Amino acid sequence: MRELLRKRILFFGGKGGVGKTTCASAMALAAAKEGKRVLLVSTDPAHSTSDIFEKRFDRDEREVYPGLMGIELDASLEARRYVDKAKAEITRMFSHAVAKEAERQIDLASAMPGVEEVALFDRMSDLIIDRFDAYDLLIFDTAPTGHTLRLLRMPELVSSWIAALSRRRRALLSLNQDIDRVRLAPEAIDPDEDPILRTLDQRREKLEQVRARLMQHNFTGFVLVVIPERLPIEETARAAEILRESNVNVCGIVVNRVLPDDLEGGFYQARRKQEQVYVDEIRRRFSAYPLTWIPQFETDVYGLASLERVRSGLMR
Amino acid sequence: MRWDELKQNVGDFIHGYFVSEYERRLREQFVDLNDLFMLQCFMELVGLPNPASIYLLDVYPYFLEEFHTWHRRMGMDRSPIGSMPCC
Repeated sequence: MRELLRKRILFFGGKGGVGKTTCASAMALAAAKEGKRVLLVSTDPAHSTSDIFEKRFDRDEREVYPGLMGIELDASLEARRYVDKAKAEITRMFSHAVAKEAERQIDLASAMPGVEEVALFDRMSDLIIDRFDAYDLLIFDTAPTGHTLRLLRMPELVSSWIAALSRRRRALLSLNQDIDRVRLAPEAIDPDEDPILRTLDQRREKLEQVRARLMQHNFTGFVLVVIPERLPIEETARAAEILRESNVNVCGIVVNRVLPDDLEGGFYQARRKQEQVYVDEIRRRFSAYPLTWIPQFETDVYGLASLERVRSGLMR
Repeated sequence: MRWDELKQNVGDFIHGYFVSEYERRLREQFVDLNDLFMLQCFMELVGLPNPASIYLLDVYPYFLEEFHTWHRRMGMDRSPIGSMPCC
């Protein structure tokens, strides 16, 4: 895992409850201890980063450890913020009557399913683009797998959609110009002056920029966290496959909560024997990825002292 | 004076005679393309999810006028969504 500290953007993902947040936090701690400027972004609705660091996290960056800044993003809050920003922009640019009518359309649109996801993604994009230079490393603690994969495919989906819209708009305007040429009184809008086209193109440019950063294998990576149990293994295998197909670099797998060797007693021995089957399976199925093993601790990971144990496990 | 007027009218007539058919076709094409564009912007209307919905929020005001012409042409006398009350 140590070489992952050289990356610029890391995502931590996996099935719910396997310890994504713990691993992401430990990685952030490791980077901060190496003297790097780190931003830890939690997008998991469960938001346990503040519990782990025992510090309050906020929507805006705040220091949770020397050199380590943290943010917790809340999708519904981001959606509200996004909508308010759009409304403010509209009130600034249009007459009162138009603004009032458009606002109602906006309220309808913002109640659509998927809006929160897009708003969350938009905020993540802002961080990836605008805060990239302010930090040595951005670490995203993501929501459970399915949600995250959708999030990573979002730029592709939305930008091709917007590209189609903008292509159509351009065709429309140029046809309008053709009509003008045969008319005596011209009325067409110059495509370069069209506000709709301009807004669409700006949007697409931003999405493309994020997409390009996410696909850069040398500085962006995805770390999958798994525990030696049936369902997490299957889900991780699926996630690794989908990520590979979407051209996202899976740069490591953390096997969390592995039972230690030195246990006594019949129950533990039996438990460990069963686990060994899964451990072997993990070694076999994920041989293409660098594996890191973190033992099960006798206490919960809570607070800096126990996080330090995970950190040294990751860096071993 | 009368002669100038006549010349102007004959000129306009000839222009219209040769060009109007061409312009009509262009306009039809324009209208078709525009319908498709509007449909893509307002997919919610036909019950389909629009992946770019939130990204279109700040272009909605620009659409008000076009939206009105569009729903009239689609055979809907009144605005089909209460939230775009153009008429």
